[in-house]
Amino acid sequence: MKRKDRRIDDGEFSALPFLAGCLIIAGLVHIATIFILPRLAQKDAFARISAIAAPHKVVILPDGAGGPFDDPALAQGVCRFDLSQGPVRLRATLPLDPLMLFSFHTRRGQIFYSMTDRSATRGKLDVLLLTREQLNAVEANDPEDELPQDLRIIAPTLDGFLLFRSLAEFPGEMAEAKARIAALTCGLDQDQRP
Amino acid sequence: MLQTFKLIVIALIGLGLGLGSTYYAVERGQDKGFGAGLIFGAVKAGPWTGWPKSGSRDADPYARALFARNGETPLGLTEGLGFLARADASGKPLSPSCDYVVKGSIPAARFWTLSALSSQGRPLPAISARNGFTSSEILRDVEGGFEIKVSASAQPGNWLEVPTDQPLVLMLRLYDTALSANPFSVTASAMPSITKEGCR
Repeated sequence: MKRKDRRIDDGEFSALPFLAGCLIIAGLVHIATIFILPRLAQKDAFARISAIAAPHKVVILPDGAGGPFDDPALAQGVCRFDLSQGPVRLRATLPLDPLMLFSFHTRRGQIFYSMTDRSATRGKLDVLLLTREQLNAVEANDPEDELPQDLRIIAPTLDGFLLFRSLAEFPGEMAEAKARIAALTCGLDQDQRP
Repeated sequence: MLQTFKLIVIALIGLGLGLGSTYYAVERGQDKGFGAGLIFGAVKAGPWTGWPKSGSRDADPYARALFARNGETPLGLTEGLGFLARADASGKPLSPSCDYVVKGSIPAARFWTLSALSSQGRPLPAISARNGFTSSEILRDVEGGFEIKVSASAQPGNWLEVPTDQPLVLMLRLYDTALSANPFSVTASAMPSITKEGCR
């Protein structure tokens, strides 16, 4: 009787660690691959945009060059950035009513900042995009008795892109929406050139 | 010897299960599309589902893996919110051979758009060249309400044309909305309903 019990125990004890081992390894592999995937992906938004847009200029995305689940009523434009060449400045004079959307994406497709045209002060937008070190350098040169006039945003990665979207309220207004994006200026900041 | 063999088998099974589950999670998400972290951060309101956090620094790893695969650029949380519907009010998947009516209330937003897309999120062919409506162009009744007819055949009023033979999804985008501050507070009654009118 005793001997039989022990045999059943043995059986259970060898199946349980086996299953647990499989599940632990599966869990680790699952978590690792989910986190690694954005680094390996060949068809992510950055790759799609790099193929058609040179860095530090505003490029209107042609029809069909957007990603899935885009709103067909939005015109889109991008400005790729590479902060290893210096801080990037975005300037805009925005018309009062039309909707303009601004989002700041890392190399890995994560949005680290976003805003609409409502964030503009008196119709003007002046954004300086930089790294932590570049911000320190810029702040060291700031006049002490004045507040900076620009919005300074720290990018978590050196590479990435700004995505501009503008709403064509009526189907015939797509050209105007694209023109609003084309009117933005985005490029290496002339004042902060190394 | 047997012990080593066992370890190799455990490693192989674990690897298979791990890769399989990742593939399932991401492909399944791709099928659901639109920032669908498989389990995290979804907000449901009637037939509509949104993933507000996918457009922020708090995007979950599944949403990021999905975007890396499909190249999607989500809407930033402060830009607006998107909601996707793959089924009507009764929970049946949207079918291209049926007509639907979208009506009811819409959360306060400076602008909104309603568009029909393929189930993979691509624009659908339309003779009227209209894949969607914006809040500015919609025809409203005397009380300010609206009704959008989703159909393959021409309809009076707000007609959202869809092809006869392709699976579709509906997408509602709210731009510059106060709901961005608390997206998880949205309720089904605040969102438009999707009702089946009839099928061919």
